[in-house]
Amino acid sequence: MKVKDFLTLTFFSMGLTLILWFLITYTKIMPQAASYEAKHVDGAFNAMLAVTVPIFALVITFVVYTLFRYSAGKDQSEGIKFYGSGNGIVEAAWIFLSLALTLGLAALGTKELFAIRGNDQADLNIQVKASQFSWEFYYPEQNIFSPELILPEGKRVRLLLSSEDVVHSFWVPEFRLKQDLLPGKVVKLLFTPSKLGQYTLFCSELCGSGHTTMTAPVRVVEKEQFAASIKEQSW
Amino acid sequence: MFYFLRALIFGLVTFSGILFSLSYKISLQAAMVLAYFSGNLAFLVGIGAVRCFKQWLYGEKDAEAHKEETGWKRYFQFTLDHKVIGVQYLVTSFVIFTIAVTMASIMRLELARPEMQFLSFEQYHTIMGMHGISMIVVALIAILGGLGNYFVPIMIGTKDMAFPRLNALSYWMLPPAVILLVSSLFFGGFDFGWTAYPPLSVQGPLGKLSFLLAFITVGFSSIFGGVNFMTTILRLRAKGMDFFKLPIFVWSVFSAGIIVLLATSVVASSLILVVFDRAMGTSFFDPSRGGNALLYQHLFWFYSHPAVYIMILPAFGIILEILPVYARKPLFAYKITAFSFIGIVILSFVVWAHHIFTSGMWDLLTIPFMITTELISVPTGVVFLSALGTLWMGQIRLKVPMLFALGFIFNFLIGGLTGIFNADVPSDLHLHDTYFVVAHFHYTLFGGVIFGLFAGIYHWFPKITGRMFNQTLGKIHFWLIFIGFNSTFLPMFWLGARGMRRRVADYPLEFGNVQLWVSLAAILIIIGVIIFLYNMVQSSIKGTMADSNPWQAHSLEWQIPSPPPKENFEQLPEVKTLPYEYGKIST
Ligand SMILES: [Cu+2]
Repeated sequence: MKVKDFLTLTFFSMGLTLILWFLITYTKIMPQAASYEAKHVDGAFNAMLAVTVPIFALVITFVVYTLFRYSAGKDQSEGIKFYGSGNGIVEAAWIFLSLALTLGLAALGTKELFAIRGNDQADLNIQVKASQFSWEFYYPEQNIFSPELILPEGKRVRLLLSSEDVVHSFWVPEFRLKQDLLPGKVVKLLFTPSKLGQYTLFCSELCGSGHTTMTAPVRVVEKEQFAASIKEQSW
Repeated sequence: MFYFLRALIFGLVTFSGILFSLSYKISLQAAMVLAYFSGNLAFLVGIGAVRCFKQWLYGEKDAEAHKEETGWKRYFQFTLDHKVIGVQYLVTSFVIFTIAVTMASIMRLELARPEMQFLSFEQYHTIMGMHGISMIVVALIAILGGLGNYFVPIMIGTKDMAFPRLNALSYWMLPPAVILLVSSLFFGGFDFGWTAYPPLSVQGPLGKLSFLLAFITVGFSSIFGGVNFMTTILRLRAKGMDFFKLPIFVWSVFSAGIIVLLATSVVASSLILVVFDRAMGTSFFDPSRGGNALLYQHLFWFYSHPAVYIMILPAFGIILEILPVYARKPLFAYKITAFSFIGIVILSFVVWAHHIFTSGMWDLLTIPFMITTELISVPTGVVFLSALGTLWMGQIRLKVPMLFALGFIFNFLIGGLTGIFNADVPSDLHLHDTYFVVAHFHYTLFGGVIFGLFAGIYHWFPKITGRMFNQTLGKIHFWLIFIGFNSTFLPMFWLGARGMRRRVADYPLEFGNVQLWVSLAAILIIIGVIIFLYNMVQSSIKGTMADSNPWQAHSLEWQIPSPPPKENFEQLPEVKTLPYEYGKIST
């Protein structure tokens, strides 16, 4: 590989990286973040973008450049040079680099996972029951059932998830957390809502004919209004 | 043709006879299981699968050769020639592929606008599940069963597969399974995608049982195929062909064969347990009676993750087989690529739980699965190194197979890199079960496996048919499908991250415009597929006669006439070098 090849590849792959980076940022690939955990998910997501986008740009630039530089064109005659079928240094460097990047990303993922799952303390328990095809929320401390999931801003909540029939899944895109609900088992999900607003809870595990419409409203309210808000919901 | 019709009648009569006579005595579910298995056996008898036993009984010697029909008719009977079986697999794959594309078109029509247009939720789920399982079957059998059967024996320099009868059996188990799968539309359909998670798969209509039985049959057929490939490659290589002189495609089939053999029985048994739960009242997966619903997910993915490597490894093989031919250069880093296939095989068995990070499994256990999953990008990276190294400094000829190979590199690069996002537990908590995952696996399975399949079919078309395909139509097919595919699936990454769930028939209004774009872009894929099918049929009947080696390739299959004669070689060859000595003036 000559200096000219090297410079061209660097120039075009950096350009492509910038374009892709602009497109991804400009189209806002993630919805707004409404929990503290969302920041860690986004952190992991952005770190992976930072690694994969340049790799993509580099490989594609390399292939396109090679196609132009080494096109046979109309010349179908067989070359006389016998080009190398391998290069020990390139092979070793390639494997070492991919191994290092992979392990680095896995380490970062582990770190963010601990940030999300590490703390088992919560200020508040809420029981979430799913059945084909509806959601029900129970606040044990107040003894209130609600069709809407109301959460206090800035307080860590522990959802106790269970299913009456088949497997369902709890997902609020703005919280960035997903957790399946299994029949015959209670699964915990802890997080801290960080932004006031209205969101939607989607069932995200195929659970039968009504799966598409199995949603529920979610509202994050100020701490002070929390008690009053759930009282209004009382059936 | 006579045998095929006889088999259909035998199968249908037995199936309906047993179903109607037994359903009064035992449960409909149990009657269906018995009826299907008897029907499948009757079909096999009808097609001539037990003829050999009859011959042994009467002491006839090798009478089969005389009784086999010739011409196109032999494709409709129990034939032992690996090349006929290969073509049978390929044609069947494209029949199923057409079903799958039709289902996808109906789905995209429904999804083009928010709200429900013309389907009910149940219909949508059945069509979606049918699309899913059909494409899984195509990806499993088209390359391995079709091109693998046809070319592995020739490439290693032998006359046929090690077990020709087992080979024919593994193919002929499929038609009844496909018929049953399609008939599930009339038995109430199935609403569990292609994954069939219990308890959902235990409740509900008979159509779900049809799905399970069809899937189990495909599993058994696949095991028979796998053991046959392994034995053939281990035992029947030509003189001088040691393991490091095998064409890379043979290496990939061998690696896929290992996975088939070790993993398929696990999914078959987990599906059989679901059938037991349905038909015999057991409760393996019913928590209210002491079962465990999560257990199924572990068993299912223990196979179904390695299964994607059963699909993609042969596609890697095809691409790496093709690149040296059209770049006129030796395959780069042949040995470590072969080793990396084996590395993928080993790692593929310890990554299954990345499909169920959100299932409620133990958090700490997700970490080792995240690490092993991301480690797979190392051997996969070697495949890319081999591809890029082969291209560099070559003399690149942009023929149709080469275009598909390059398209594969582009698509699979995106598919592979986005896989890292799904393998990472924190980001998977958000992305799991969204369109992001849909986009990711379409990039690997459609952009990867199906592009690999197209590359292979164009590359070997002159060998199989003895005729040349229409190259202009081939190029139009490539550009339509490459642009159509990327415009369809690239926006899905965005949709998924923004909050679009997968497997739903309707979606929030904010996604309306992007969904419409996706539906419109999919039209390009459909036109591309129609052009492809037309080109294949038209060219195999009327195409110009092809030279026996139109691409000036060096591997063994190109050194014999096209189409190859019955036992491939007049005299078994002796092998001295790898088949990638391009650039050297051949002696
Ligand atoms: Cu649900």
